Amino acid sequence: MTTIQTEKLTKIYGHGATAVTALDHVNVHIKGGEFVAIMGPSGCGKSTLLHLLGGLDKASEGHVLIGGHNLNDLGDDQLTELRRRKIGFVFQFFNLIPVLSAVENASLPVTLDGMKPAEARAKATGWLTRFGMGDRLGNRPDQLSGGQQQRVAVARALIADPELILADEPTGNLDTRSGDEIAGLLRDVSKEFGRTIVMVTHDPRIAAYADRIIFLKDGKVVDETQLERKNGNNAEMLADKIKEIGD
Amino acid sequence: MNLQLTLALRYLNGRRLRTFLTTLAIVFGVLLIFGMNTLMPAFLGSFTANAMAAAGQVDATITNKTGENFPESVAAKVADVDGVVAVSATLERPVNLPADYFDQDASTPDRVTAVTLVGANPDDFRSLTMVNVIEGRYLEAGDGAAVVVTQSLAEAAGLSLGDALTLPSPTGTVDFEIVGVTPQRLLPGNEEVLVSLPVAQKILDAPGMVNTIDANFDSVAETRRAEIEAAITRVLGDNFTIGVLQAGAEILQNIGVAQAILNLLGGMGLLMGGFIIFNTFRTIIAERRRDIGMLRAVGASRRTITRLILIEGMIQGVLGTAAGILFGYGFALITITGIAPIGQQFLNIQVGKPAVTPGLVIASILAGVGITVVAGILPARAASRVTPLEALRPSVGEVTLKRMAGFRFWGGMGMIVIAIAALVSGNAGFIALGAVLFTVGLIVVAPSLVNPIANIFGRFMALIFARQGTAQLAEGNLSRQPSRAAVTASTTMIAMAILVMVGSIISSIMITFTTMMEKSLGSDFLLVPPSVAIWGTNVGAAPALADELRAVDGMAVVSTTRFAGAQIGEVAVGVLGIEPRAYTEVSGLTFVEGDPQAAYQSLEDGRGMIVNGVLATAAGISLGDEVAVLTPSGEQTYTIVGIASDFLNAKTTTAYISQANIATDFGRTEDVFLQMNAKESADLDAVEAGISAAIRQYPQFKLVAGQEFLEQNIGLFDAAMAGFYAMMIFLSVPSLIAMVNTLAIGVIERTREIGMLRAVGATRKQVRTVILAEALILAAIGVAFGLLSGLYLGVMAVSGFSALGFPMEYIFPASSVIATIAVGLIFGALAAIVPARQAARMDVVTALRYE
Ligand SMILES: Nc1ncnc2c1ncn2[C@@H]1O[C@H](COP(=O)(O)OP(=O)(O)O)[C@@H](O)[C@H]1O
Ligand SMILES: [Mg+2]
Repeated sequence: MTTIQTEKLTKIYGHGATAVTALDHVNVHIKGGEFVAIMGPSGCGKSTLLHLLGGLDKASEGHVLIGGHNLNDLGDDQLTELRRRKIGFVFQFFNLIPVLSAVENASLPVTLDGMKPAEARAKATGWLTRFGMGDRLGNRPDQLSGGQQQRVAVARALIADPELILADEPTGNLDTRSGDEIAGLLRDVSKEFGRTIVMVTHDPRIAAYADRIIFLKDGKVVDETQLERKNGNNAEMLADKIKEIGD
Repeated sequence: MNLQLTLALRYLNGRRLRTFLTTLAIVFGVLLIFGMNTLMPAFLGSFTANAMAAAGQVDATITNKTGENFPESVAAKVADVDGVVAVSATLERPVNLPADYFDQDASTPDRVTAVTLVGANPDDFRSLTMVNVIEGRYLEAGDGAAVVVTQSLAEAAGLSLGDALTLPSPTGTVDFEIVGVTPQRLLPGNEEVLVSLPVAQKILDAPGMVNTIDANFDSVAETRRAEIEAAITRVLGDNFTIGVLQAGAEILQNIGVAQAILNLLGGMGLLMGGFIIFNTFRTIIAERRRDIGMLRAVGASRRTITRLILIEGMIQGVLGTAAGILFGYGFALITITGIAPIGQQFLNIQVGKPAVTPGLVIASILAGVGITVVAGILPARAASRVTPLEALRPSVGEVTLKRMAGFRFWGGMGMIVIAIAALVSGNAGFIALGAVLFTVGLIVVAPSLVNPIANIFGRFMALIFARQGTAQLAEGNLSRQPSRAAVTASTTMIAMAILVMVGSIISSIMITFTTMMEKSLGSDFLLVPPSVAIWGTNVGAAPALADELRAVDGMAVVSTTRFAGAQIGEVAVGVLGIEPRAYTEVSGLTFVEGDPQAAYQSLEDGRGMIVNGVLATAAGISLGDEVAVLTPSGEQTYTIVGIASDFLNAKTTTAYISQANIATDFGRTEDVFLQMNAKESADLDAVEAGISAAIRQYPQFKLVAGQEFLEQNIGLFDAAMAGFYAMMIFLSVPSLIAMVNTLAIGVIERTREIGMLRAVGATRKQVRTVILAEALILAAIGVAFGLLSGLYLGVMAVSGFSALGFPMEYIFPASSVIATIAVGLIFGALAAIVPARQAARMDVVTALRYE
């Protein structure tokens, strides 16, 4: 199980007068198998943090350690391999390649890694069936609803058995019911397979599925909350907290 | 299946029309290259086969390098060379026959359009060539008007043993009695008509002369033969060639030039295809930024992305090349079928099948597939640099593009400056290179220029549409998507540039050649031989005919042209003998260099020579040079007194000298082309009747009224130009459609934004206006740039033609410019109309959900 750690992680966009500090010396520590949600007002640097964790962007200062490896030390090819084998991504929009079917989209990471097509297909079919998509395997993204598309995206994030899953507002584009389904899926995966999951959301109801919440404001970590599973009012509690921070 | 291949096929299939149009450009380029290169060798092949067949199967055929006659006595010298066992000297001459000569029936195709008159010493001839007589007898020494013909000729002419065979000759028609019939010929080539040498010499007005010596050697060993050939060369000197027949060398050269020009066109087609693919790929990458970013995010390496794009290009390249080769072969086949009768009539050759060589197939594949791959490399590398973040934040990508702009701008400007410098040089090679540099430079510069211009245009539009508040949106869209705008505008620019360039070339060619035609074909009457392209195969007339014509009532002046083959350096030259005074009265050369008056005068003082542009370029001759001309009587030095051309000979390497000189140096007194003017007071019908009577004995000539001939030629010329124009339009159509395509994509991409506009209260009309305004801004930019570059390329092409030896006057293509502006703006509006209507009609909710 992989731990993730950031030290003084800083990201500055642009320079001079127009420079924007999106992340400001952020230190977080995420244990292996933990399901963490990141919350905060719009523009506080949630996506930026997630991108840096996934090696999609370079830090201006500080570093990210994944399983003890410093991402700053990796070249493009090594980062690519890392993304392919160790990390699964789920995004809010544009998750899928429009010309590929559901099963082809879901199997992309392993196909890119050179797995035999039949094997990759079987694996993708397995995940999709588990997510209730067994009858939609051959459909292209434009023939799927938003919730179904996100399920394909989750299946794709899981197919390479990555230790870390990064999700940026995976439910942001969905109705309440579909949103709950996706968040539930992520939690099940976390519990059943011990995957480390970092999910960005601004929806307290969705965040309530996580084990721990990290609150971000103006690029800084301002609070953290460990959630008690038994506590049924997590969502309300989080909503209050967000309001408080937002002020 | 391989993931990249799957993706490539799916993407291509998803945009079938675009795939088709992009591929079409490659198809067209390969078609031209492959088609032309199978066609031309077919001609060359049959042409040389003709020559080879004429040479027969003897060990060596000796001819003068110029193809002209030489004294019989040369044969004796050859016979004396050690190792030569048999020698036969002949006077051979292809005789082009007028249409319907034997059958007198225009409705049936002529089976025989030319024969080769062979004058030989019967015994010598038989010692080298096996001749079986199947009917009658063989020629005997001392035979008069006796002839031996092949069975196939006899059949075609409907003649048999004992009948009379009538052939045109410079001294009027000659009747022969068929005394023998030989088996039909097995090798391709003209039917031979065998007469005794003195008879041939008399008919062809070449007493004591022959033009071919066949010899057999005492050995078949390669080294020994080389020795004997060397010995013969020592004895005869440099003026003779052993082996290949030289007659018609200038037409061989022409076919070569035509092939080069068509290859150039094919190359341009391919380049155009390459550019279209390049642009399409740039669009594709802008369009698929998110897909590519997503692939990168889930673990596709840069190489995978590069390969994905290259495979897409490769598929198009392979399909396009395959189709191009197929169509090219079909094209060659159709052309050959269509052209065979003409080839037989005018070039006197039997054209065979299209000649497909493995080398050509490989070269075509390399060119077709190669250009797509090359065109795809830059975009593919650009695609590989798309970061995963661009899938998530699409605006990130534009930053890198902007950073490139400065570098590209100066690089492109550098190329354009060099191109302009090349134009000044006046050297064909540099100009061609300059044109390429100029085009590439424009393509490179365009994106960095489009942005500022879009802003300016945008402000302008903002003023016009100020009240609707939509123009700012249009401008905003353009500057927010600079790469898209640049791709669209530069595609438009290229399409427009081609139209304007072609317009410039065509109007210049038209004016130049029409003027030349009117000048050189302006006489009242002409006597035209069967082939006006290759004078050497025509049987002309002895000076007696011209004298007779001069005596016709009402005739003012008769100008004649005489022909001889020669060589300057390595270039085969058709030498025309003219009589300057008469010539300038009925016709005239169009001068590029030299003073006409002085030049005509100098033709008659000593050895003056006027050369045409093609020859000047091919042999590197300039005004005032002294050049060594190879003649049957050895090398002679001529002074170049002018560079000028007439219409009929503008395309072949031609030199004009006086008739006195062509008689002295080449022994030619035969008129092959006659132009006549009647007196102003004369009754033209009466004069025509007089001419007809005079040429009754000369069926090799056709009498044409000058006006009619001129119109015929202008008609032919117009048709050729129309074909050329059609071809170029064909070349620019894909880029016009590419332009519509990129504009349309721009709209489709912003569907969501348009929905938003509607949601916040924009009316349908306002949405339509935004899109139309945007398209028109882009089209206007493209047209403006296209006009500028097209005009410039036109100037370049015209001076390129001049440097190649086709001097032309530059004519500003006013009508093309207007047409181009119209076409550009109409296509621009057209490109916007459909998407604009779609966008305006779009359901707000659907629009917002799009993506
Ligand atoms: N490519 C970029 N260039 C400049 N500024 C950026 C860029 N990406 C994000 N930002 C800025 O960084 C800050 C954090 O953005 P982001 O991480 O997307 O926030 P969140 O996801 O929390 O809404 C914002 O102020 C945003 O404007
Ligand atoms: Mg975000």
